[in-house]
Amino acid sequence: MGEENITEAEAALYDRQIRLWGLDAQKRLRAAKVLLIGIKGLGAEVAKNIVLSGIKSLTILDHTQVDEEDKLSQFLIPREEIGKNRAVSSLERTQLLNPMVNVTADTDDVADKNDDFFKQYDVICATCCPSSILCKINNICSENNIKYFAGDVFGYYGYMFADLGKHEFAEEVPKMNQKQESSQQGEECGDGEPAPKKIKKDEKETVVVKKEEIFSRLQSALDVDWSTTEIKTKIKRTPTAHFITLAIFDFMEKNKRRPQLSTSEEDSKQLLECRKMIIEKNQLDDKYLPENFIEHCFAELSPICAIVGGVLGQEIIKAVSQKDAPHNNFFFYNGVEGTGMVDKIGN
Amino acid sequence: MSAAMKSSLSNKLQQNVSSCKILVVGAGGIGCELLKNLALTGFSDIEVIDLDTIDVSNLNRQFLFRKEHVGKSKSQVAKESTLKFNPDVNIVAYHDSVMNPDYGVNFFKKFKLVMNALDNRAARNHVNRMCLAADVPLVESGTAGYLGQVTVIKKGLTECYECRPKATQKTFPGCTIRNTPSEPIHCVVWAKHLFNQLFGEDDPDQDVSPDTEDPELTAEAGEKALEKETEGNGKDLERKSTRVWAVENGYNPEKIFSKLFRDDIKYLLSMEALWKTRRPPEPLDWSNLSDATPSSATQMRDQRIWSMKECGEVFGNCLGKLKVDLAAQGEDGMLVWDKDDETALDFVVSAANIRANIFGISQKSRFDIKSMAGNIIPAIATTNAIIAALIVMEALKILNDQFDKCTTVYLNRKPNFRKKLLDAGRLDKPNPKCYVCSAKPEVTVVLNTQKITIKFLEEKILKGDLGMVAPDVEIDNGMGTIIISSEEGETEENNEKLLSSFGIINGSRLKCDDFLQNYNLNITIAHVEKLEDEKDFMVVGDMAELQAKLEENSKKKEEGTGAALEKSKEEEEDDLEIIDDTEAMETAPTDTSPKKRKADELDCTPTAKKQKKSIGGDGDADVVEIL
Repeated sequence: MGEENITEAEAALYDRQIRLWGLDAQKRLRAAKVLLIGIKGLGAEVAKNIVLSGIKSLTILDHTQVDEEDKLSQFLIPREEIGKNRAVSSLERTQLLNPMVNVTADTDDVADKNDDFFKQYDVICATCCPSSILCKINNICSENNIKYFAGDVFGYYGYMFADLGKHEFAEEVPKMNQKQESSQQGEECGDGEPAPKKIKKDEKETVVVKKEEIFSRLQSALDVDWSTTEIKTKIKRTPTAHFITLAIFDFMEKNKRRPQLSTSEEDSKQLLECRKMIIEKNQLDDKYLPENFIEHCFAELSPICAIVGGVLGQEIIKAVSQKDAPHNNFFFYNGVEGTGMVDKIGN
Repeated sequence: MSAAMKSSLSNKLQQNVSSCKILVVGAGGIGCELLKNLALTGFSDIEVIDLDTIDVSNLNRQFLFRKEHVGKSKSQVAKESTLKFNPDVNIVAYHDSVMNPDYGVNFFKKFKLVMNALDNRAARNHVNRMCLAADVPLVESGTAGYLGQVTVIKKGLTECYECRPKATQKTFPGCTIRNTPSEPIHCVVWAKHLFNQLFGEDDPDQDVSPDTEDPELTAEAGEKALEKETEGNGKDLERKSTRVWAVENGYNPEKIFSKLFRDDIKYLLSMEALWKTRRPPEPLDWSNLSDATPSSATQMRDQRIWSMKECGEVFGNCLGKLKVDLAAQGEDGMLVWDKDDETALDFVVSAANIRANIFGISQKSRFDIKSMAGNIIPAIATTNAIIAALIVMEALKILNDQFDKCTTVYLNRKPNFRKKLLDAGRLDKPNPKCYVCSAKPEVTVVLNTQKITIKFLEEKILKGDLGMVAPDVEIDNGMGTIIISSEEGETEENNEKLLSSFGIINGSRLKCDDFLQNYNLNITIAHVEKLEDEKDFMVVGDMAELQAKLEENSKKKEEGTGAALEKSKEEEEDDLEIIDDTEAMETAPTDTSPKKRKADELDCTPTAKKQKKSIGGDGDADVVEIL
């Protein structure tokens, strides 16, 4: 893929990132077709980050309408678009971010899409979806070798999930061998007698090694029974944002929608019920799912979207470019505690 | 829970956010992301300042700008784009340097909070001092590649930006550059010096000819070489400035090439002591350059390694073009090396590669040399987005009267052993000996009073190293002799005079005052004949620290110069010091290497609680260097 050389215009535009991840990574990015499901605050951040990076194409799939909450985090939608379709309203500004990327909008409901639809993409990133849909798409991706990401932001909290299947990647590690890698002519090698004055230590001296990481499906993370003795010990070191996310997933399954500012009073009561259910089911201590999360979990706080969207965007870039170790398999940000952690949940 | 909830923020916090006036310093990589977050979070009274204009290489991350904005003011375009996200925000944009005297203490006092989104240390030092003087909390930030940092500075409560000494730009001993280069960077530095010698500002520290005072040469060997020099075939050109010689020869490519890459190299070979343990250099002949290409010819010009023949041609062409450019500057004109000037870059690429070839050092592509010579720090959208968001998270705590919860946060490349990708730590207390934020700032400067001029003291020490903008200096000798005045014309006649001519000796004290920064500093002069590594001066906290440093230096000396250099390098790495480029430094003709830490090295190091890292800045706009 992407064997064609980078053009002068691309080299100029992407100069500062090519200096970071290299030409090969940039070529791989240029070949990647990405589907982004859901474009609220988090989706907008992800779209911005990956369109700027120079992927081949982005399809924005969202059947919902712009509402008041979008003003708090969705910078790709002009203010006057309330009531219109989110994907369509986001299209123009997303395209302006980078004319070299082919950006399209799709107004269908993701639930109505057949399996073949998903197979045209290299990467699928699902946001704003209930967990049943997230798992369903995850399964399709697994069976078709599509890199899969999911994420969402709830007020001060956010998460990212990745299932890259069996993922191979290259990683630069500091070179241990003192011998000079003689890629160009005229290099003196430390043959036998190490030059007393100079064992060349180019600061950039690294070697690229191939590595592999095995991921698991979202369902297996949701299925973890935290009450079992072998898992219980892990609770203490598991980010609380995970349990908060589970409670909100439960709410979304029951209500077929996210908690909303406009119905926050009523939603809060329901969220407390969901919390209770998660605590009982997993025999959690109260402190791992603190009651006050309901004060901080509405709408999407812009900086939280930027943090989770920044991590998610970079993980997509890593997955596509097959460069650097991916985060396996969750990232959680908790803006109340100020913690941003990577954790492996499920198997 | 209130039914009137209008955002994710509590009502009180929302109130504070919408009513406070804030200053954003910098509208580059971090600044663009920050302005977006601020407008969406409900900030409605924002001022933003940036002196820069938009470049095409900004567009991969500074998303408020588009191709049609190239060349325009960053602050102005950023303001217009931000207003589209939220037209209700009141934004004032200044296309100006924050170091301009128009932005004094009273300007800073207007703000409830200042947020830095800068890319250079000079401006960070200055804003730090202004915020201390105005007693306004400052959120400081920076990114370098995948890494980033955010911290909070509040007078009297936390460390200020200058409480800890920062690693200085890496410099190389003159003899390494002039006589015994062993890494590509040495050749790049040499080539930049050559540019300045031929076309730019004359700086005696940037001599490119063989150095007969190389400490590795025994006195005898040096003399022998000197004898040879005077012996004959008109080698007195060593004594003539390179510039004068080049002008006299009309910048003739063959003559210049032959002097630099043949005759000078032969001369170096005559210093036999240098080549006992090194591979001796091999002089090149202008009329017989190899066209063997070390890399595939299908690659872009920017990416492939040029043959010696190609290097020679480019070198010759550049000499011709630069000669014309220089002439266009008029008499006494000069050129300033700029990584974005194609000819200036080509000149350095060709000269550095020719020299590398001579010394058996691996050649580098034009793309790589641009990074090295221009100190470019790579920069990406995602890191900037995360760091800008973390700035807002700290700001929200300050505005929520939770200053005690403020932290310094690092964005790591990989999670640490506690699973933390974002590693937050408590803010440290001010350093009581800080030469900026302590009650009575004091510092000792080690130098040779018989070699340092007043101008050097002002430009390189007070402004360059100690971060002042417009200092007034008097000798604390009971007579109040003023040696430097910030009023134009008042002390200009002192510029070229030596410190000793004002009676400044070991132990003399200078009272320095920067009115703009509302900053007073007492300097004690420690006179020495000579400093290590050809340094002209050294700033230390106090005499005890000086003593420790001198001892350390003498120890190093025992280990031999080469070993000492290696050692100091490793020490820097242990500090996890990242960085540092910055356009500001690019303009200063210094032997700077793009001392960029490989992020991988960071990864291997478990972040111990007390360990301090420092992240330095994006060559273009984004970065930092904190703590």
